Amino acid sequence: MLSKRIVTSIIAASAIAMPLMGSQAHAAGEVVAAFTKNQVDPHFDGVRAGVEQMAKKMDAKVRNYMPTKPNNITEGMAQLEDVGVTKPNVILFMPIDPKAQLPTIKRLIEAGTPIVNYNDRAGDAPYLAFVGQDDFKLGHDIAKALFDHLGGKGNVVILEGIRGSNTGDERKRGFDAALKEYPNIKLLASQPANFQRLLGQQVMENLMQQFNSIDGVIAAADASALGAAEALKSAGRDKVAVVSINGVPEAVEAVKNGSLLAIAEFNGFKIGCVATEIALKAIRGESVPKQILIPGAIITKANHAEWLVPYTQRTCPTAASFAGK
Amino acid sequence: MTSVTHHSPTAAVSRALSPDSIGLLVRLGLIAAICIFLTFVSEGFATTDNLLNILRQASLLFLIASGLTLVIIGGGLDLSIGANLTLCACLAAATIKATGQPMAGAAVALGCGTLVGLTNGVLINRLKLPAFLATFGMLWVAQGLAYRFMAGQTIYGFPPGFRTWGIGFFLGVPVPIWIALAVGLCGLIFLARSTLGREVYFMGANETAAVLSGIPVGRRRTLLYALSGAMAGLSALVYIARLNAAEPGIGEPLLLPAIAAVLVGGTSLFGGRGTIVGTFLGALILTLIVKALNALNVDAAWHPVVTGVTLLLALLADAALNRGGRK
Amino acid sequence: MTDHTADNALRHEALWRRIPGVVLILIAMVAWFAIGNPRFLSGDNLANLGLQASLLLMLALPMTLIILTAGLDLSVGALLGLCGVVIAALLVAGWSLIVAVGAALAVGLIIGLINGYLVSYLSLPAFVVTLGTLGISEGLALAISHGDPIGGFTPSIEAFYRSTVGGVPTPVIAAALFCGLLWLILYRTRFGNYIFAIGGNKEALHLAGVKANLVHMAVYVLCSLSVALSALLLLGRTNSAHPSVAVGMEFEAIAAVVLGGTSFEKGQGWLLGTVLGVLAITVLRNGLNVLSVEPSLQVLCVGLMLIVALLIDRGRKGEMAGAAG
Repeated sequence: MLSKRIVTSIIAASAIAMPLMGSQAHAAGEVVAAFTKNQVDPHFDGVRAGVEQMAKKMDAKVRNYMPTKPNNITEGMAQLEDVGVTKPNVILFMPIDPKAQLPTIKRLIEAGTPIVNYNDRAGDAPYLAFVGQDDFKLGHDIAKALFDHLGGKGNVVILEGIRGSNTGDERKRGFDAALKEYPNIKLLASQPANFQRLLGQQVMENLMQQFNSIDGVIAAADASALGAAEALKSAGRDKVAVVSINGVPEAVEAVKNGSLLAIAEFNGFKIGCVATEIALKAIRGESVPKQILIPGAIITKANHAEWLVPYTQRTCPTAASFAGK
Repeated sequence: MTSVTHHSPTAAVSRALSPDSIGLLVRLGLIAAICIFLTFVSEGFATTDNLLNILRQASLLFLIASGLTLVIIGGGLDLSIGANLTLCACLAAATIKATGQPMAGAAVALGCGTLVGLTNGVLINRLKLPAFLATFGMLWVAQGLAYRFMAGQTIYGFPPGFRTWGIGFFLGVPVPIWIALAVGLCGLIFLARSTLGREVYFMGANETAAVLSGIPVGRRRTLLYALSGAMAGLSALVYIARLNAAEPGIGEPLLLPAIAAVLVGGTSLFGGRGTIVGTFLGALILTLIVKALNALNVDAAWHPVVTGVTLLLALLADAALNRGGRK
Repeated sequence: MTDHTADNALRHEALWRRIPGVVLILIAMVAWFAIGNPRFLSGDNLANLGLQASLLLMLALPMTLIILTAGLDLSVGALLGLCGVVIAALLVAGWSLIVAVGAALAVGLIIGLINGYLVSYLSLPAFVVTLGTLGISEGLALAISHGDPIGGFTPSIEAFYRSTVGGVPTPVIAAALFCGLLWLILYRTRFGNYIFAIGGNKEALHLAGVKANLVHMAVYVLCSLSVALSALLLLGRTNSAHPSVAVGMEFEAIAAVVLGGTSFEKGQGWLLGTVLGVLAITVLRNGLNVLSVEPSLQVLCVGLMLIVALLIDRGRKGEMAGAAG
């Protein structure tokens, strides 16, 4: 029941996304500047691994940029400014805060540095393309998966992401939409756990004190879900079903051994691969779709093996496989 | 504080201890008050499970704060404990994964923690760098090494035997509480009963006098930094055993709460005053306050405000007590 | 105050010997980065450097005065975030810029008075007092903003931030003017003399009939007020107000002051040294980005630079121990 069939959703703004034929001059050795938000969350490790692999395959070099303090906006600003000086051939950008970084992004594009927006949306600017996933749908799908598992009735709590972040808000909107479809599911509480493990654990401990009967937990990210699962296990309440979004190897292992019920796949590795391919193709003069939304599967005990493979041993999918070609 | 030179170490200690014991009583009273309040406000507060849970959370905070307490009593400061904990956690986790031996991991964590602490001690006491900056620099160094070592990944899934240290029970009480109890007892005996401990108070209260009376202040302080580092290593073990994972962001958020626990516990940043028990009570107060705010459904945003106010009130109360005790 | 000139001479002598430590490091870094990437010295990058340094400078300069009084202010980062949130929230609610800035100044004044009163009149340790107000400021900022970034206020703040005068970014000029103002206060007024004296021997100042406590408190108020004004720079830079964006910046500001040769004890220090300290930190981070040094190494480099700079100073000065405040 869990693995609903997921439809590939492509909005190809450039209606004919035909790759140009063979004799394209390949100016190899371009520099790709890849931004990620921190060096703590393995999701971004997946993104970097994808970027690295695809760049290698296409003869380009990668330079990684991430703040020294996790998700620090002032550092993120400074790094964008500094990258403007080094003039990479193309930038892969994910925002720490779209509002803050958009003006600098626009200046960079005006100054002639092409930018691909990936992972999460960074506001309205003339990007080459957006490569990511539909966070609303991920939230909706995983919540429904949990509610179906509960037989359509029970008490649930939500561990939100960072409030105000696009990813967190969209996923929450997805959870809420699913809640509306299941009138017998009761939402006991919805608290931010900021995509973090320790906070997830502590919030869960507090919620368990408040509520005697919790049947399910929806977390906006693996780290919080893993923290919550730990809390439930230590309290001997490990029959509570926990679901999350992302699918980093540790969480997939938790699905395998049963401490998580299911995960909606938000695949950093694939996003990194496809964004890099699109970026390099675009600057090499090929036409590319304006947007690629990579579909996310529901990872369960039944199908988890694919996501247990370490990032470095995975093989990049091609952008074309998501463009339906 | 005007004519301290004439006091012997024992006199300094007894003078430092008496207002402290009143301070401890005040803190115990505060804890009792919050508990009584919570019993009425929050259903399910006064259950054994919940109380043990609170004690466990406080124990984790206490472990990292206990080493810092010694450093501060001895007149120093250690801003690197959080990052040190991170580095120890990452190295220990890798060792346990590689060897399957929790004891090897424990040795690595304690060794790494002690080494970082020792480096702090040498920089500060041998090379005479200001403690604030030396340990701040070390914070970056340890954090950088941890990032480099982990390369963006997390290490997870430890053997059940090791996980006991974080989530296990012994005689019905969570293991971290036992560890905190053992550490607290050692610290108590060290500070109150050993010559070394008395020297720590003395040199914290009056460095010049301590040097004049022949105490090797530099070497003693280096020892304290090493101890603080070792405690960061021990805390790292309990943390990863509890979380079942090590990640390079684990320690940094613990620095300010640890400092706050030490200070709410009545240890003075001017050195020479403070107790290990106080730090435990400080950690407990901070944990209880969060519980109380949760019980009252106060938005999490207000937690830092209340912590800040508590810190200032503790400071003012101690200042008032001292003035009363002195004159 | 009879040996005032001798005191002054001593102070200048001390300066002279203090300049080289951080200057040596600065020269070495500039040479390294310029050779590594000639664009490091381009006009664009110098403008980046100036912008990145200006905010830290606005915090570090008044911090110098506080450290000269043998004190410390840990609340500046959190207060900066709080004032940013206050200004943004009022602007969004439709108030004028003047009212918003006035409110931020009032907040700064209150926090400054609390810090100053407790440290000066009650002789409480500055570290603990300002750690307390750090918590208060951070929490208030989170409570007012509900943890979300506040954006969508008047674009004039960003326009101001991005404007240039004769090719030099306005924030750089503002920071330079502020530096000049503080220099005048510190070296050309009696108030400035008192600041040095408080760090040296507050008791003596008291006996000389000066309201030493008032002066001492005024230093903290001055610092908090300038932090409140700096919030405009932060808002201009990030185009939105983040509640906890600047938490942690206080440590960098303190590091810059100490790098610049101001010691935690005895009222010894040098305002312009702080400028060098700020430059050293900013140049290091900017240069490492421009050279695309791997992020984890960047973290390591910051720590090593701090320790090496201190060791150089140590070697040059021979003695003068320092401990925590």
